[in-house]
Amino acid sequence: MLKQVIGVVVFLIIAASAIAQNFTIGGNITDASNGELAIGTTVLIKELNKATSANQYGFYSITAPKGQYTLVFSYLGYQSVSKTVVLDKNTTLHVAIQAIENQLGEVEVFTKGSDENVKSSQMSSVNLDMAEIRKIPSFMGEVDILKTIQLIPGVKSAGDGNTGFYVRGGGPDQNLILLDEANIYNASHLLGFFSVFNGDAIKNVNLIKGGMPAEYGGRLSSVLDIQMKEGNNQHFEAEGGIGVIASRLTIQGPIQKNKSSFIVSARRTYIDVLAKPFINKSDFKGTSYYFYDLNVKFNYILNDKNRLFFSSYHGKDVFDFKDEEGGFSTRIPWGNTTAGLRWNHVFNSKLFSNASAIFTKYDFSFGAAQQDFELTIKSGITDYNLKYDVNYFPNSRHSIKAGINYIFHTFIPTSVSAKQGETVFDLGKVIKLYAHDAAIYVGDDWDLSPKWRANIGLRFGNFTQVGPFTRYKKDIIGRINDTVRYSQGKVVANYNGLEPRLSLRYSLNKSTSLKASYTRNFQYIHLASISSVSLPTDVWMPSTEVIRPQIANQYAVGVFKNFKNDLYETSVEVYYKDMSRQIDYKEGAQPSDNVFDNPDNAFTFGRGWAYGAEFFVKKTQGKLTGWIGYTLSWTWRQFDEINFGKPYLAKYDRRHDASLVLTYSPNKKWDFGMVWVYGTGNRGTLPNSFFIYEGTTSNDYGLRNSYKFADYHRMDLNVTFTPDRSAKLERRKQRVLNLYKEQGKDTTNLNVCKPWLKRFQNSWTLSVFNAYNRYNPYFIYFTRTGDFADGSLKVGAKQVTLFPILPSVTWNFKF
Amino acid sequence: MKKIVYIVVVFMVWLAFVSCRKDVKVKLPAFKQKIVVEASIETGGPAIVFLSYTIPYFGSFDFTQPQKAFIKGALVTVSDGSVIDTLKELDPQNGYLYLGTKVIGQQGKTYFLTVRVNDKVITGQTVIREPVKLDSLYFKGEQDSLGFIWQRFNEPAGLGNCYRWFSKRKTKDQFFAAPFNSAFEDKFIDGKGFDFAYDRGPQPNEVQAFRDDPERGFYKRGDTVIVKFCQIGTGEYQFWNTYYQNKASNGNPFSAPTNVKSNYNDPEEVFGCFVGYAPFFDTIIIPKKK
Repeated sequence: MLKQVIGVVVFLIIAASAIAQNFTIGGNITDASNGELAIGTTVLIKELNKATSANQYGFYSITAPKGQYTLVFSYLGYQSVSKTVVLDKNTTLHVAIQAIENQLGEVEVFTKGSDENVKSSQMSSVNLDMAEIRKIPSFMGEVDILKTIQLIPGVKSAGDGNTGFYVRGGGPDQNLILLDEANIYNASHLLGFFSVFNGDAIKNVNLIKGGMPAEYGGRLSSVLDIQMKEGNNQHFEAEGGIGVIASRLTIQGPIQKNKSSFIVSARRTYIDVLAKPFINKSDFKGTSYYFYDLNVKFNYILNDKNRLFFSSYHGKDVFDFKDEEGGFSTRIPWGNTTAGLRWNHVFNSKLFSNASAIFTKYDFSFGAAQQDFELTIKSGITDYNLKYDVNYFPNSRHSIKAGINYIFHTFIPTSVSAKQGETVFDLGKVIKLYAHDAAIYVGDDWDLSPKWRANIGLRFGNFTQVGPFTRYKKDIIGRINDTVRYSQGKVVANYNGLEPRLSLRYSLNKSTSLKASYTRNFQYIHLASISSVSLPTDVWMPSTEVIRPQIANQYAVGVFKNFKNDLYETSVEVYYKDMSRQIDYKEGAQPSDNVFDNPDNAFTFGRGWAYGAEFFVKKTQGKLTGWIGYTLSWTWRQFDEINFGKPYLAKYDRRHDASLVLTYSPNKKWDFGMVWVYGTGNRGTLPNSFFIYEGTTSNDYGLRNSYKFADYHRMDLNVTFTPDRSAKLERRKQRVLNLYKEQGKDTTNLNVCKPWLKRFQNSWTLSVFNAYNRYNPYFIYFTRTGDFADGSLKVGAKQVTLFPILPSVTWNFKF
Repeated sequence: MKKIVYIVVVFMVWLAFVSCRKDVKVKLPAFKQKIVVEASIETGGPAIVFLSYTIPYFGSFDFTQPQKAFIKGALVTVSDGSVIDTLKELDPQNGYLYLGTKVIGQQGKTYFLTVRVNDKVITGQTVIREPVKLDSLYFKGEQDSLGFIWQRFNEPAGLGNCYRWFSKRKTKDQFFAAPFNSAFEDKFIDGKGFDFAYDRGPQPNEVQAFRDDPERGFYKRGDTVIVKFCQIGTGEYQFWNTYYQNKASNGNPFSAPTNVKSNYNDPEEVFGCFVGYAPFFDTIIIPKKK
């Protein structure tokens, strides 16, 4: 299979270089105010009406025959930059673009919108700018990327209190979440109420639901590619906020102006401090909880052709509970750590490369003590990841991306240790599982003709679980009947697979296109979740002899049309996805302790399929912006050992899912935001009857997911007030001037205030979550009073709603 | 698993701050009636079988007439391989108890159960294993005069032993009662010596009274308590383990719904377990004063 991959590469290179005698211009595009790379900037050769856009590292490359041209660089919200170039040799040209600052409200600026959504071969993807996300009402005032992408058609939330997202019928573990290329294994804080991404440190968010380019792999359903800011290389800048539950502070600035910069961003909650007095008086005395995030990034421009980045994220949740009277205490810390070193190298205006070395770790631990009994549970995953890829622009019709990737995984499925007084219970050693995960890929974004464009890609992955490892084989009643030991480095299981990717675009006219895509994805690492919420106890597992890699085939077609000079973007997409070798726990299984056992012994395997249609209308510019999304979908699962082998609707099967997002900025001072979401209720398994055993009653459950909860809908509102400080500053200036004049001092070189004070901006955001106080179901439980035996039994059902109407205030500042 | 339960409990505590509750009417999916067979045989005793039907939560069943859930007129037999004992339906008033007469439980023997209800034949089997001793019993006070019964236990070496624990207060209780999670296996404790305690389980059919009891779950100074500690088989342990998991996940949205693992021939249609108990008895008189 490797031969086929090499064959394709060779073919592409030959095909690409067949068209010669042209010259290429390329370089980096940055934001003039802070030196941040401007991802996705459109570059147009006016005379040829030929365009390209900057890649995720802000690099562009465009090729044309010898001649004099006008290059126009444009980006939404920025002033277009025109450059006249004489193209008689391959040329490097770096460009800085300037934001149209704060002109909204006074003069309505309509720069031409982007038609990237219609023109590109990529479908089923959404790119969100942090500025856009910030305006949308957020839960408890915490700007949240994961909550925002749940508002996009085809992406479903699990309901309140869950950052896990479900893309086109896939599970939350089937999303590849990348923060500066580092895998984030658990993207949620506080059991899912908040995501780990601190909005202040994030620059750009890109979600791909289907038609993934070949460079992405390892997950079935989606790619969420998040880029951190690089740090301002022009001047120091601080920004932060004080909210109801957390505070944030971000500092960035140049280390050496125009050459290197840093950004440090931190966030911590203080519910533990604020709530303590109240908790101590209640039954919940001794409970404490907090989380924090820390993002750090450095970047260094070595020279014109080389740039180094170091980015790191560290976040932790800590839960404490102490019951002094009962002698019970528990401490549960969990969190992610990532660190990545990246090197961008520009060989020439046609060839760009990116090399990265990334470390990722997710760990969870649970410690509990009751009197002299102590219990510790640990689990986690650690990755060492090496990546090298090149972006080659042989001519203006091809953009080739090829690369290799190697990851060494170390898994710690739940390992338990316990002792009582002096007695240490034999719970085995910490069990670690090891795996090599390698991939090679190549993709070409190819302009076949003015009407046709294709993105053709191929990815080949290989996954090997290696020893040391002990396999416990069990008989039908769960007794071990065989034990196989593998020594260090010995191959336990090996899988590989070819993943073809194809996206096609056909332009009907300048503002309308048809697109189709086929994607085949393999997933070699798995997360089987025992409960319906993403608990930090969920354990990642490699593919083993028992767990085979999951495979998905996705087919999608869509119509894309922009109206009114790209002011409105619209699309309709239809998809069908088939997923094999899906994983779930066997009925009644509990997270295993792995003593004389392998966690995968508790798994059962089946398939899933999903289909649906997504409708999307977005207004990109003006005082009023926002979008309407609607999804009609079906999601099915079938497992031989669940539901007696019959297909059943998945928990997050959602027939109708709609969202309306509006932001209105009438002037400089005020911003208003609104979100309304509606979704068909989740499905669940509720007991439908009970039985008597030893004189007490117990539940009997109905068929899997045969109960549908009430529909979910909710409205959130927010308003942001940004005081205009210019009048105040002017008054201050006059005061000082008058004072100086009175004292007869020279005022020609007077600086009334420090530059940072001049830049100082602050704003107040009031947000209301669940504005009309809808009681959405979180779960339902039954109540029973009396005894069955004497005829006094009474049964009722209660629904628990997580969040009623919740107002919150946040104060933000920036200077 | 207990640890998960802890996390969930603690999480629920947090939820209690912000969440709100309301009564709702739920439309449950169609109900399918199943048969419940609660059967046991113990060293020195006859087979005891209770038969009943599962009861829908929101349906036509009249909770003021609980006896309608019991199965009457079934043909129940227990055999030890040579003698077949047809069990007698004992109490026609509350009549779901069937009691043997001819076959008496003996250590090391295998027993076969057959139940015929409305043309349906249910079969199951169990073994009475050898009893395993507790070393000693002692009382440890928790609050005022209340506390738990502790025991020193040296688990015999060799994997594959499973146990179930019962107790009875001599004057206060009618039956031996098992507390929550009263069954355990020797996977972690094989061949070890350690101390353990259980709280007191409710008497059958007195769940509400038990909830209101100020001594709920505790033993009191002055009580005379008989502990019945039984070795059981692995399959039987599986049943009790899933049975308690099912109880623990009682409407809990954070755990997978657990359907109990019956050890009968038709687990989809029949609930329950035929269990052979090999009991070891010990008595403790809790002194009135410290």
